[in-house]
Amino acid sequence: MYKKILAAINEYLNSEIAAKYALNLARICGSKLYLCFIAEKGLSGEGFNRAEDTIKRLFIQADTLGVEAEIITESGDPVRKIGEIVRHEDIDIVFAATRREDIERRFYASTVARSLSLSLPCSVALVRIVHIGKIHPKKILVPLKARVNHVKERAYFTAKIAEAFSSEVFIFHTPKPISKFFHGEIHFSPLEWEKHLPLDISHFMEHMKRYKVMHGRRILPGKAGKSITVEAFAKRHDLIIMGASQRSLLSSILKGNPVEEVLRETPCDLIIFRPRHEDT
Amino acid sequence: MKIHSLPPEDVLKQLIVSEQGLTEKEAEKRLAEFGPNEIKEVKKKPLIIRLIEQFTHFLAVLLWIAAFFSFLSEYLHPGEGMLTLGLAIVIVIFINAIFTFIQEYRAEKALEALKRLLPFYVKALRDGKEKEIHARDIVPGDIIFLSEGDKVPVDARLIETSGLMVNNAPLTGESEPMPRVSDKFDGELIESPNVVFAGTSVVSGSGKAVVFATGMQTEFGRIAHLTGAVESGLSPLQIEIIKVTRIIAVIATVMGVFFFALGYFMGRTFWENFIFAIGIIVANVPEGLLPTVTLSLAMGSQRMAKRKALIKTLTSVEALGSVTVICTDKTGTLTQNRMTVRKIWFDNKIIGLDDADARHAGELMKIAYLCNNAKFIDGQYRGDPTEVALFKAAKETIGDLKLERISEIPFDSERKRMTTVNMVGEKRIVFTKGALEGLLPLCSHMLIKGEKIPMDDVLREKVVDAYHSLMDVGLRVLAFTYKELENRNESGVMSNELKDKNSSLIPDEIENNMVLVGLIGLEDPPRPEVPEAIKKCHEAGIKVIMITGDGSRTAEAIASEIGLIKGRPVIVEGHKFTKMDDRELREVLKEKEVIFARMTPKHKMRVVSILKEEGKRVAVTGDGVNDAPALKKADIGIAMGIAGTDVAKESADMILLDDNFATIVNAIEEGRAVYENIRKFISYIFSSNIPEIIPYIAYVIFRIPLPLTIIQIFAIDLGTDMLPALALGAEKPTPELMSQPPRSPKERLLNLKLLRRAYLFLGPTEAAAGLFGFFYVLKTGGWQWGEMLPVSNILYMQATTACLTAVVVTQVANVFACRSYRESVFNIGLFSNKLIFAGIAVELILQLFIVYHPVGNKIFSTYPIPVTVWLVLIPFAFILFFSEEFRKLIVRRF
Repeated sequence: MYKKILAAINEYLNSEIAAKYALNLARICGSKLYLCFIAEKGLSGEGFNRAEDTIKRLFIQADTLGVEAEIITESGDPVRKIGEIVRHEDIDIVFAATRREDIERRFYASTVARSLSLSLPCSVALVRIVHIGKIHPKKILVPLKARVNHVKERAYFTAKIAEAFSSEVFIFHTPKPISKFFHGEIHFSPLEWEKHLPLDISHFMEHMKRYKVMHGRRILPGKAGKSITVEAFAKRHDLIIMGASQRSLLSSILKGNPVEEVLRETPCDLIIFRPRHEDT
Repeated sequence: MKIHSLPPEDVLKQLIVSEQGLTEKEAEKRLAEFGPNEIKEVKKKPLIIRLIEQFTHFLAVLLWIAAFFSFLSEYLHPGEGMLTLGLAIVIVIFINAIFTFIQEYRAEKALEALKRLLPFYVKALRDGKEKEIHARDIVPGDIIFLSEGDKVPVDARLIETSGLMVNNAPLTGESEPMPRVSDKFDGELIESPNVVFAGTSVVSGSGKAVVFATGMQTEFGRIAHLTGAVESGLSPLQIEIIKVTRIIAVIATVMGVFFFALGYFMGRTFWENFIFAIGIIVANVPEGLLPTVTLSLAMGSQRMAKRKALIKTLTSVEALGSVTVICTDKTGTLTQNRMTVRKIWFDNKIIGLDDADARHAGELMKIAYLCNNAKFIDGQYRGDPTEVALFKAAKETIGDLKLERISEIPFDSERKRMTTVNMVGEKRIVFTKGALEGLLPLCSHMLIKGEKIPMDDVLREKVVDAYHSLMDVGLRVLAFTYKELENRNESGVMSNELKDKNSSLIPDEIENNMVLVGLIGLEDPPRPEVPEAIKKCHEAGIKVIMITGDGSRTAEAIASEIGLIKGRPVIVEGHKFTKMDDRELREVLKEKEVIFARMTPKHKMRVVSILKEEGKRVAVTGDGVNDAPALKKADIGIAMGIAGTDVAKESADMILLDDNFATIVNAIEEGRAVYENIRKFISYIFSSNIPEIIPYIAYVIFRIPLPLTIIQIFAIDLGTDMLPALALGAEKPTPELMSQPPRSPKERLLNLKLLRRAYLFLGPTEAAAGLFGFFYVLKTGGWQWGEMLPVSNILYMQATTACLTAVVVTQVANVFACRSYRESVFNIGLFSNKLIFAGIAVELILQLFIVYHPVGNKIFSTYPIPVTVWLVLIPFAFILFFSEEFRKLIVRRF
């Protein structure tokens, strides 16, 4: 599915660590890796050098791992330039790191990360790096909604990341608690919730089985954002892979935005994945 | 792969930092990327929003609407008293909101207590220079220096150490210092000896480490996040109160709308019908319920405090009564945490300590004395309870020894042993004490009657048999070994195995080829009250799960001694626990008798979470910092008042002032009593709703003057009823309360039985009394049927006063009736609750004030009534009381 993977590099440490996820995915998929640095206007010489060093280090690592890599260094607007490269090279997926300043903006509006996620014609993995001590994730938490689009690609992406790091995948679903006017919230045991397992999640798990990825599942009713972070903290997960938010700005204001909540409070690295490959 | 599994030389490369440390510029950049190293509060609903919510729930909205229309009515038809009504309704909304808020409010201080464990400044290497940097500004990749007394501000990978020992108690609960090294480690990060964690402290030695996690990404941040984010959810009482208010709101609305429509068809004016509808709603709402519940819970918490259980959240008082499972620690809670040496094994025989003497048990006691850090100062033994017990036994058996200690490998909960090296004459002797599982494989010989015999399978089997027999009687067993060190250096300088006092000993180099001398069995006796408390739990259908760090045999023996287990329990040890998935653990927890042995506090939250997911109401005990998330997650988190850390106490719902398990059971008994008492006063309060509603219905249907005004309803609900209801809340727990299983989550506070009794039996009697009093006064005053009287008419005011007095008089009898559903008041003791009499006295004084004082008359539109009216009303009280006694008799018989 992923023949060409692009990792967006900048002068920050986060982008180097995020690119390592891309590197490992490329290794496991046998893909070509594009290490792409777009120097923004006004970037200091020191910043430029740091980004160059990062690219060199990553290139050497790619070479060591036997991954075919190509370096692209340009200057200009990162979103526009990366968009051009993606179209020109027919890139399948782009990895980009979110910055701390991104999460400080509500709904990370008008950030490079969001612009890349929305505008690129390929799949995008936005990576939030928070813990540099967990080099290879062993436990990956995959929160899923009841309705999942692009199930095939999501499963492929998750399975390949898990394979790259020999990780175990934990599928996590947080349905809305069931309540009645006079009875309030009705308690169901996990076994009872299992009976309500959404079809899309079952499909996702079938794919995991097919890819021979060790996986478990857990259904816990509650508020999605909070439940995901508590689960990740409590079970010491090393990486979270979740789908990009599909809520509108208005809906996010009214109902909250779980992706944004997790982005702000994640205890481990987080990949916000926006698939573009249609299920066939 | 994680940072701890890399060799030290690769750590810097991985974290992209040079040996000179980060540059200031790079550190600044990383600070911008990873954020400051600080413990952040989890975003929660602001206090003000939580307060506002008390004004916007369903019942409150209904009352706001009623108040709005009252004010509108006053505006359109001034002078009909609607302003007073509107204001009264608003006051009711405020009273209910504030009392509910008080119930739920709890000051969150756990995070403050956690923050106190972190330092302000730390020494770090920046631009090749050692600098004192604010802990907040430390970033991943920084190289930090640690020395004795330092608090660790971050999670960091050690790259150099020199005799470094840390106290990991905040994370692991283990108070013994742990040695730290820089070698790579392949196990779990949390167990890695090459990592220092935020919140821990350096006991001795020094080290250099590279930071890999800061702020909320540290293990300490993890505890902080879970402590802040995890919630136990609404208490059973809160859930029930919500249901009750919703039911009341719906009943009130339906009745209001129905009688509004009825009045309309009977030709009354819109405003007459409207006033009536508001009256029906107000009459249906038990305005005094929430304040009474809150005050009753406060009284319950006072009673619990007297029984050494300090309650931090009012709703926990009742939540305790609904507990179905208690997860309890062993040491200090079930037992006294006073270790005593009971039995010793050497020369292939087990003897009691009293039979031991210096000649035979001398070698064993020598190790117990020397491989020990307890002290005897000013006539008192000081130190860890286990060490003190060993030291005391050795001192009393062989007297004092003065042998120089050259070095020590402190006790380590992972290795489960401690080693010292002492000079014995010219010889250097290694003494080790610890768990037999770890020590036996290190022994090549055994000392029998002063002779070193090579260890073989037969001997090994004998040792293990002795070990098991000691554990089977509930003893904690330690093995004792020694070894003479050989000097390879003939000049008399220290051998390679042992260099100097300050160097770190390498355990593998000296703990081998040892000689096993014997075993010592220590007892931590159970608290005397515990067996009875456990029995009570069993009778009350409460499951008790022991979670202990001790071995399974010791745990099982103690559990058996205190009556916690009767048959063969399921015992899960820590190593097995970590490998179990949730489904397996769920199955284990369904077993009748479960013990978790060799556990650490970090496992508790998982047990609590699974029990809660299964619908259990869980109480859990804890004392350490890392117990905090489990304490928050449980329905009732119980912290130890004596042994507990500040963080545990701040996270808990209840603090045991004496650390005693029996106190938990006492508190549960009080909690159950509180719930029963709330039921009693709900019956009492709801009974008076009927005499408040019936007059309104009679007013619409029979076109009579209104027998009871809205403001007089308030006089009952928020005045005369309050103290007797509170007195019902102080009823003592009955003996049968702890012989019933915990109430089912499906059991409603406001059930059909209660409503039937209040609305169809007690209430109608009171309504009959009220209407009788009303018509008695009207008729004796010359009133004719169909005649409408103005509100300022004295006869009318006297009649409504009589109606109000009738309700109050019958409520006096009702308070006795509501003391029990089944039992006769004469059986439970007419005078056994003295507060009832105080409550009735206040009720009557208040009523006299309303009836006879001009201020009372003005506020409540009443007018003094003659004594004869009281006398004709009193028989109704007797009718209510004795008819209720008769009903109870029938219930008891059939």
